[in-house]
Amino acid sequence: MSIRRRDFLTGLGAIPFAARAQKRPQLAGVVTVYRKFSHAQHIIDRYLEGYGWEGEYHYPPMDLVSLYVDQVGSDDLSRDRAQRHPSMTIYPTIAETLTRGTSKLAVDGVVIVGEHGHYPRNEKGQTEYPRYRFFTETVKVFKSSGRSVPVFSDKHLSWNWDWAKEMFDTSRSMGFPFMAGSSLPVTWRIPSVEMPDNCEVEEALCCCYGGVDSYDFHGLETLQCMVERRRGGEKGVKWLQAYRGDAFWQAYRDGVWPHDLMEAALCRSDTLKPARQGFNDIFPTVEEMQRLVRNPVAYRYEHLDGVRCTMLLLNGLIEDFNFAARLRGRSQIFSVQMYLPMPPGRTTLADFFSPLVNNMEKMYLSGKPTLPLERTLLTTGLTAAGVESLYRKGERFDTPHLAISYQPTRESTFERS
Amino acid sequence: MPTNPIRIAVVTTIYRYLSHAQHMADRFLVGYPHNGAWHRPNAKVVSLYVDQKPEGDLSEARANEFGFKVYPTIAEALRCGGDRLACDAVLIIGEHGKYPRNEKGQILYPRYEFFKQCVDVFEKDGRAVPVYNDKNLSYSFEKAKWMVDTAHRMKFPLMGGSSLPVTWRLPDLELPLNCEIEEALMVGVGGSDAMDYHALEALQCMVERRRGGETGIRSVQLLENDDVWDAGARGLWSKDLLSSALSRSDTPLGLTVLDGRTQNLVANGQLPVLVKNPWAYMIERRDGLRTTLLMLNGAVRDYNFAARVKGFRRPQSTQFFLSPEPNVTYSACLMNKAEEMFTTGKAPYPIERTLTVSGILESCLTSRVEGHKRLETPHLDVRYHAPAQSQYCRA
Repeated sequence: MSIRRRDFLTGLGAIPFAARAQKRPQLAGVVTVYRKFSHAQHIIDRYLEGYGWEGEYHYPPMDLVSLYVDQVGSDDLSRDRAQRHPSMTIYPTIAETLTRGTSKLAVDGVVIVGEHGHYPRNEKGQTEYPRYRFFTETVKVFKSSGRSVPVFSDKHLSWNWDWAKEMFDTSRSMGFPFMAGSSLPVTWRIPSVEMPDNCEVEEALCCCYGGVDSYDFHGLETLQCMVERRRGGEKGVKWLQAYRGDAFWQAYRDGVWPHDLMEAALCRSDTLKPARQGFNDIFPTVEEMQRLVRNPVAYRYEHLDGVRCTMLLLNGLIEDFNFAARLRGRSQIFSVQMYLPMPPGRTTLADFFSPLVNNMEKMYLSGKPTLPLERTLLTTGLTAAGVESLYRKGERFDTPHLAISYQPTRESTFERS
Repeated sequence: MPTNPIRIAVVTTIYRYLSHAQHMADRFLVGYPHNGAWHRPNAKVVSLYVDQKPEGDLSEARANEFGFKVYPTIAEALRCGGDRLACDAVLIIGEHGKYPRNEKGQILYPRYEFFKQCVDVFEKDGRAVPVYNDKNLSYSFEKAKWMVDTAHRMKFPLMGGSSLPVTWRLPDLELPLNCEIEEALMVGVGGSDAMDYHALEALQCMVERRRGGETGIRSVQLLENDDVWDAGARGLWSKDLLSSALSRSDTPLGLTVLDGRTQNLVANGQLPVLVKNPWAYMIERRDGLRTTLLMLNGAVRDYNFAARVKGFRRPQSTQFFLSPEPNVTYSACLMNKAEEMFTTGKAPYPIERTLTVSGILESCLTSRVEGHKRLETPHLDVRYHAPAQSQYCRA
């Protein structure tokens, strides 16, 4: 990775002026790759260019002043962004990005986006995104500076559970605000509903799509942001079992997960693939689903309080995220779609990043995370457990390390106004 | 207690994959997603009339599979080949198919003609049943007015219109009933006499909730090209409202398509670059309310509304959510409303909404061919009140 000398010098010159003129929080971005539709582009762009929010065009009341990009390819946009936004300087290392070329931490918040880019894939199929490395290098600067600032890290904490746990523990022991996770918990919902307060969840399920160690995390976050609101809050998960391919359909026939919840979730989808030619919207039979779905995956797991959840990746059948739950005392299944305006097919903007960025802004302004980090720790562990169970050919996998208990936020945090 | 299924006669222009008839009438054949379940209406399509059978026609295939007949005339369809009216409801879908355009660019879909033939059967057989008419009642306000007057005279429920008023909204915004609206603006895209109708009806379903209800249309004017921007500069439509409406869009074009960036399209000067042929439908109501539809092809691809409402500091705005093809689940929202009327015998929202918008569209297109001049519209003296209950999908 290289950096043009001019950018570097321009940036250095800008520091004292920016520091003198503004009291707005100053943020550092630490990202893997900055190309069109990479998570870094979606997230960092919103700080640089603003975004539509609650009926007006919103410019975050803070400045992204320094950026580290781990991989700069031919489709890189970070240099274009630095040129158009001279208040942002690109630095060659994470430490320099956080210190802005000085010897001490010189920003008020860190935005870590370790998604996309070319990183090795291990034998379990996990992409080894360097989120842990980005985090530890950030923490190194905090330590050497004797000061910490709020950190956001996109998606799950790490592909490696031990590292994820260490990240969690470090933020707690050092006492800095740390927030992470997916857009799914905070995006629009169709309908615009929250889980009823203190409800008793009997069983919950998510029908979604995408890959293992990828969109499975989003499906798990979809589930977790809802079930964590049940009576008593979250207690953690005791085991997980994954099913793939033929084992998936055998589990379906065996009734491993409730068919009525699966149907209810599919009925919230706007993308149910028509199984029959000439029809545009028709509910498939099981045989038709089997024909349509490519290599289905299920993660089934049980929480310590007995609530069971199932996450289904149904590639070929749907292209959205749909949640359904049976709640005690309600005859009708509770269901909702977590709506992702997804480019380039459906939209041009991945506007589900707007509520995520907005939650991050609140943390950078107040120093208080708006989303529970325990949720991301748990979904990080569930993702890794799902991968592990698949790797062990569908073995049920005990998860004593996922005895993570926490309470949800009182306020709803999803986009609704 | 189970009741007999509602017998539906379908009267349509064409029945081809993704034509309105297919994705709407099919809802009564195979069910549709509603309130988180696959809803199977207690209804049976008993007959079908289809005006044109182009390549890809599905009418015979549907008739064979679902056990009804395609009849050569509308009267026979309504009587199921017998000598008396033999259905409980009529679904008229006069959209798509090859029909001529008039000098105003309106496609002369035979909705009025379809409706008239239904009414002839009702008159002769001494019984009338609820009628749903897709989209605007007719390209001609005079014809549309006759349709509404006839339904009132013969006392059968008539419902019409677009999916936009009933689809999901992002956010789930309903203007308070009897609010005081100071100004309203809608952004739409697509071609004229098709998509502009949808956008106008989305606008209408919001502003009809104002205090005093709809009072009728005083005047309309359709502006094009630079006149649209000039009108904005002169304050004839509100840039703040445009900015608010566009803040709801997920589909800015131009630089966003190029490299994914977010854009403040009103502030960054890109609108005139992106929109080669903007149209502004300037609609003044009899109570003085100014409303505008901006058709901004090239700027965005979705439908967004904003209004300044007394008592709210910021504009109230929302996106009318059009879910993707092929499922177009928004048409399930609409057919659920038709089903509601078929079941209860009451239209969930007044046909005067559809009549008003049919008239607005025709008059705007007249303004265009008459040199874009402002037209007084004393004939659009249609007054009505919005239903107290919200009617769009939100559960």
